Amino acid sequence: MSKTFDRYSSIVFLLVGLLFVIESQKISDSAYGSTVGPKIFPMWLGVILILLSLRLLYETFKYKTKTASESKLQYKKFIIILTSAVLYAFLLEKVGYVISTFLFLLIAFQTMERGRLLPSVIIAAVFSLSIYYLFAEFLGGSLPGFPVF
Amino acid sequence: MSTLQFLADGFGIAFQWHNLLFAFVGVIIGTAVGVLPGIGPMSGVALLIPVTATITSGMPTDAAAASSIILLAGVYYGAMYGGSTTSILLNTPGESSSVVTTLDGYQMARQGRAGAALAISAIGSFVAGIISLIGLVLLAEPLSNIAIKFGPAEYFSLMLLGLAAVSGLAGKSMTKALMMTVFGLMLGTIGIDAVSGIARFTYNQPILFSGLEFLTIAVGLFALGEVFKTVLERDHEDGAIAKINRILPTKQDMKDSAVPIVRGSLLGFFIGVLPGAGATLASFFSYMTEKKFSKNPESFGKGNIAGVAGPESANNAASGGAMIPLLTLGIPGSGTTAILMGALIMYNIQPGPLLFDEHPEVAWGLIASMFIGNLMLLVLNMPLVRVFAKIIQTPKKYLLPIIVAISFFGVYAVQYTTFDLYLLLGCGVAGYLLSKNDFPVAPLVLALVLGPMIENNMRRALTISNGEFSIFFTKPLSLVFIIAAAAWLLIPMLLKLKGRAVIVEEEG
Repeated sequence: MSKTFDRYSSIVFLLVGLLFVIESQKISDSAYGSTVGPKIFPMWLGVILILLSLRLLYETFKYKTKTASESKLQYKKFIIILTSAVLYAFLLEKVGYVISTFLFLLIAFQTMERGRLLPSVIIAAVFSLSIYYLFAEFLGGSLPGFPVF
Repeated sequence: MSTLQFLADGFGIAFQWHNLLFAFVGVIIGTAVGVLPGIGPMSGVALLIPVTATITSGMPTDAAAASSIILLAGVYYGAMYGGSTTSILLNTPGESSSVVTTLDGYQMARQGRAGAALAISAIGSFVAGIISLIGLVLLAEPLSNIAIKFGPAEYFSLMLLGLAAVSGLAGKSMTKALMMTVFGLMLGTIGIDAVSGIARFTYNQPILFSGLEFLTIAVGLFALGEVFKTVLERDHEDGAIAKINRILPTKQDMKDSAVPIVRGSLLGFFIGVLPGAGATLASFFSYMTEKKFSKNPESFGKGNIAGVAGPESANNAASGGAMIPLLTLGIPGSGTTAILMGALIMYNIQPGPLLFDEHPEVAWGLIASMFIGNLMLLVLNMPLVRVFAKIIQTPKKYLLPIIVAISFFGVYAVQYTTFDLYLLLGCGVAGYLLSKNDFPVAPLVLALVLGPMIENNMRRALTISNGEFSIFFTKPLSLVFIIAAAAWLLIPMLLKLKGRAVIVEEEG
């Protein structure tokens, strides 16, 4: 349990709640003259979330700080994998499923553990090709397979 | 037509060759998911929804829905079988529901009785699966007959009860659980309002008109969140895997575990039916009960077979029991059943009292397939337990990136947008951060699925009553549900105030 995270997140959720309350006022009322329009529900949710966030904020001042034994986090690996995943999402439609998946898997395998390039290449290639052919060719699904030049 | 006739029809559907195959694949994947620490039944089911959706895309809707729900449910109860394997052999629970199995199961393995422990947990799971299915068959008709009389007010209160139950038991801090619930409900309001057709919170982005896809969010929060956690924290698994010598339990073992299995099954079933309480709680309660009833309670924790048989039966029975509120009332009581419900809704099939009338082949086909699936699991688990134990050794290096790739494939194959891929990654990071800091994510997914239904029922009820909120309190059934919902939230709070430890239900 991290006090700072709780505090920041309570503020973030407070703002989200506020945003919902304000923005829900802009939703137009139902044309049918029904007493409960489309804005009532989100507005009340916003109010409840604000109250709960305030409660959490109050709680963070109450409980004692625990000196958590933080184990070393492997930020470097995580950032490389996350970045390559974002690139994967970006490239998927541009260079096609097979190439982007192959590249992503290769980078991720090697990030997890360096060395032994050959098994990584084989597994990445088999995975991306077999998923594509099984799905797009055999099952008739639709995936952007290869880049269209 | 009588229940038996429906059940026979259900078996007719479950015995179609492709459905047998689906059940088989489901339970195999489920066992693997259960064995692998890190992937729980929830992420397993969520990951497979897109895959089943594509495989069944050529079939008529009802048949497609029946086939994919057969597979997905197979993953769910198959995971309960697999979860015990790592608990016994490695002292590392594969699922939170088999945590208590480590207490006696690992001790048994150290005494060279690993095979007996595994076999007993497979047999116990099988008996429990069958008992809970019989309960499901018996309760399905009467419950849906009651539920069919529900009006919007009753439904609203009942769903409130479901949300309250899940929030009351999830995680260490109830404030955080409630925040997650409300946030999930809010995310559910994004998109075009089903009643009035007015776009809400879309800011003219066409991609948001249909709302946020629950599948993307569930896969992101659970599967990717778990992957990111393992990448960042890299848990070390040392400790050798215990050897399996003899698989068949002795006569004495069978005699010792017969009563705990039956007791665990009944207990687990009733806990599973309750919303919010699931397999984890069931296994804990069963362990405590066995200890209480045992003639020599001091042998628990030292390899007493009753300490394996009871909880393992209970968690499997609970997963069967959890199907009852889902199928008959249309209200999921846990994160995993919420995902199953989302899958059914994707096929335009609304679980609930009408399910048994409108789509009997889905409901009864599923129930019948669960009988077959449990039998398959028993047959598979006894001889193949050594093979499944091998799955534990899958290197993380390959496993984690492949989970990411499968999530990408799954989400893209259903949604065809890059936006959902970014949303998926965002949810993955959020899922890691939230669950690391004790913000439970299961209530969020449940609320996201229930949100639109809650809102519609609330508005319909208020339209009937001309905007009077008193309608929720004057209808007797609705009042009962609301009182129960309040009790679910208040009782744990009072217990905590008194300084009593409250067992929380965790799901992964």
